[in-house]
Amino acid sequence: MPSYQLTVNGRTRTVDAEADTPLLWILRDTLGLTGTKFGCGQGVCGSCTVHVDGKAQKSCQTSLKEAAGHSIVTIEGLSKDGSHPVQKAWITEDVAQCGYCQPGMIMSAAALLKRKAHPSDGDIDEAFADHVCRCGTYPRVRKAVKRAAGGVK
Amino acid sequence: MTDRRDFLKIAGVAGAGLVLGLRLDAKTRPGAAAAPEFAPNAFLAVRPDGTVRITVPKTEMGQGVRTALPLVVAEEMDLDWAKVEVINANPGPDFKSMQTGGSTSVSSTWGTLRKAGATAREMLKAAAAARWNVDLKSCRTEKGFVLGPGNQKLGYGALVEAAAKLPVPKDPSLKSPRDYRLLGKRTPRFDGPDIVTGKAIFGLDVRRPGQRFAAVLRSTVCTGRPMAWDAGKALEVPGVVDVVKVPTGIAVIATNTWAALKGRERLAADTTWELGSAQDFNSADLETFMREALTGPGEEARKQGDAEKALVAAAKVLEAEYSFPYQAHATVEPMNATVQIRPEGAEMWTGSQSPNKAQATAAAALGLKPEQVKVNVALIGGGFGRRLGTDFSTEAAQVAKAAGGGPIQVVWDREDDFRHDLHHPATLHRLRAGLDASGALTAWAHRIAGPSILHSWVGQKTPSQVLAEANGALDIPYAIPAIRVDYAEVAAPTPLGWWRGIEIVPNVFARECFFDEVAHAVGKDPLQLRLDLLGNQGLVKFGRDEADIRRLKKVLQVAAEKAGWGRKLPAGRGLGLACHAYDGRTYAAEVAEVSVEKGQLRIHKVTCAVDCGFVVNPAGLEAQVEGGIAFGLSALFTQITWEKGHTVQTGYQEFPLLRLGDMPEVETHVVQSAEAPSGIGEPPVPLAIPAVLNAVFAATGKRIRKVPVDLSAI
Repeated sequence: MPSYQLTVNGRTRTVDAEADTPLLWILRDTLGLTGTKFGCGQGVCGSCTVHVDGKAQKSCQTSLKEAAGHSIVTIEGLSKDGSHPVQKAWITEDVAQCGYCQPGMIMSAAALLKRKAHPSDGDIDEAFADHVCRCGTYPRVRKAVKRAAGGVK
Repeated sequence: MTDRRDFLKIAGVAGAGLVLGLRLDAKTRPGAAAAPEFAPNAFLAVRPDGTVRITVPKTEMGQGVRTALPLVVAEEMDLDWAKVEVINANPGPDFKSMQTGGSTSVSSTWGTLRKAGATAREMLKAAAAARWNVDLKSCRTEKGFVLGPGNQKLGYGALVEAAAKLPVPKDPSLKSPRDYRLLGKRTPRFDGPDIVTGKAIFGLDVRRPGQRFAAVLRSTVCTGRPMAWDAGKALEVPGVVDVVKVPTGIAVIATNTWAALKGRERLAADTTWELGSAQDFNSADLETFMREALTGPGEEARKQGDAEKALVAAAKVLEAEYSFPYQAHATVEPMNATVQIRPEGAEMWTGSQSPNKAQATAAAALGLKPEQVKVNVALIGGGFGRRLGTDFSTEAAQVAKAAGGGPIQVVWDREDDFRHDLHHPATLHRLRAGLDASGALTAWAHRIAGPSILHSWVGQKTPSQVLAEANGALDIPYAIPAIRVDYAEVAAPTPLGWWRGIEIVPNVFARECFFDEVAHAVGKDPLQLRLDLLGNQGLVKFGRDEADIRRLKKVLQVAAEKAGWGRKLPAGRGLGLACHAYDGRTYAAEVAEVSVEKGQLRIHKVTCAVDCGFVVNPAGLEAQVEGGIAFGLSALFTQITWEKGHTVQTGYQEFPLLRLGDMPEVETHVVQSAEAPSGIGEPPVPLAIPAVLNAVFAATGKRIRKVPVDLSAI
């Protein structure tokens, strides 16, 4: 089986797996990082969102071959202790319900704020257009993103 | 089990047979010297360090039970919330009915959990009083401490051994709501910190040593079963280790999920199927049969006066047909379960809304006794009724058995989830209203036609089926002289299940929209006609429920007032409302403000007023109202349709759930009540669609009677 190197949450990892394996399953099954969720495998629910070189990307649509050589950050690596402004805002706004889609949402929020420190409502709509939350946490997601934006001035 | 409520009813969340006394619990402290705990019942244990473990007898699926239920215990015990640890119960002798559904988690455990906490509090207090040699009545408790008449102060942890030796009081006094420190205050979700750091473990996140992963190849037809297959190509996929047959299909077992899914794809090309009873089923035929059933014989759900006679005598009769499609639960976490079989029994990890049933059905599949199957309830990535079914957990047990014992995690993908959901069925509604010469409503007839969820669920027709399928229609709260509500079952071969808001969603959609039609037909304001016909009614009995119409009227008035009902709106904007007494327990009203421009519907705001008795956690209530409205609004545009026994929709692409940008502002108003808590998970759901569609009428003059909504006509 081919061997690939990638950086995950700051650590260099060598992974022996098929080239077409989605990064999602490398994270979850090979590296045991189950914070990144499987929702659709079709790139339309956003649950599997991680950062690839700082940008939000759907790990179910990113092959191991494509991820190799890049720096990946998952929800487990966003901060050491839940202290990222987005994570803190999420707690303050009590966003989560079942919580399943939330790691993907948080990763998208963090990438958005990195790109745009003070996003407009339209920017927020667009950044979450590919995320599904069946519990309906949307109003709080918006509030939390705005709160985090205030905190990262 | 004859109906959904019996099914959901709490049987044995302990009340009497509490487990008394000192317990050695080595399991929570592996490797350490076993420490004593004070565990006067199955719901809590105090440790010597003062931390308290609270066991939750219901399944967390986002509705907040891992916060709300421990808060009830913590309140009665006077705990420091920061020192509370929460674990999930395992089904067994202490937890005989953990079914989680019907918006009943708080109401069904409220009494038991208060008593459980009060019992512990009284025993800790008695232990301290004895140690200090003071009168028990002179002691009080506060934030994990017992305080004596002098300056005595002892933490609960220091009282563990002494309290455990005391007799368990039969009838401990419960706190007065005036003294509540935790209940009724906003408490954030207990699992929040674990969720935002990715540490929260859902069913799909379970990892056992040596675990394998399986994907089951199932027929695309919901009743299909495999006839013949060739596993050769699947076994060539690196990582695939085995291919085994189970009753529902053929499982491909691999060292990782991706290999299992890839192997399954190869296997699909080399498998033939027996398609079963659903192979000719399609939505167009069902609609034809349902339409026929709208005028054929029906079973009576409510009869008041003689509606047919009153319709004949009416000066004017309004008639309309309403239509609601099949729907999918579409939980973001697909179905899954992990099973390990050992010589002495089996263990399962799964997100189940029916842990006891999951235990029983897995045991039956494995030839074991239920007590030989340990079920660990994982966090659920969305339930909405889907996980009341145990099809997926039973199948996982079958896979583990066929593959030599596991541990194996059976993973469904999104397509499996859509195709093999326990769908909420379609219904057609024929509504007729009779008006006299003065425009007064004299008769109301509502015929519902569609497949029966209860029939599908229990596998046979049951006497209470008609009450279940007409729920939300039969309890029309308006004082109308003659009312007839009936139901005509139309057979469907697809497995059915309840969905958040159950039959009440389509029934209240039809009822509240048609009521709006009546108001407009007689030139009355829809709010005023509702208030007039709620009138001066008090307690009214509907079927098996009794509703207090005064409480319904109050929430309707509050919602209308807060939403500014009657204010002048710009052209193209409208307000619409709907109200309902959910199962006669929770009273809710919603007002939607919408606009329609260039065929685009924009829902600006939904104002909800609710009376669900005492509110344990207002933060949780607000989240449930927002979520319930989102769930209802999603259904404006989603549907499952059938062609030759398979669902046309196989993913979120074809099932356009509400996204963040579509979500309206939600304003929640609680009408305070001294009544015991009822429930809030489902009651906001059924009002969202009629409130919006009534608002669309107000904005455009166009009446929409069919879901999914087609805006091209506007």
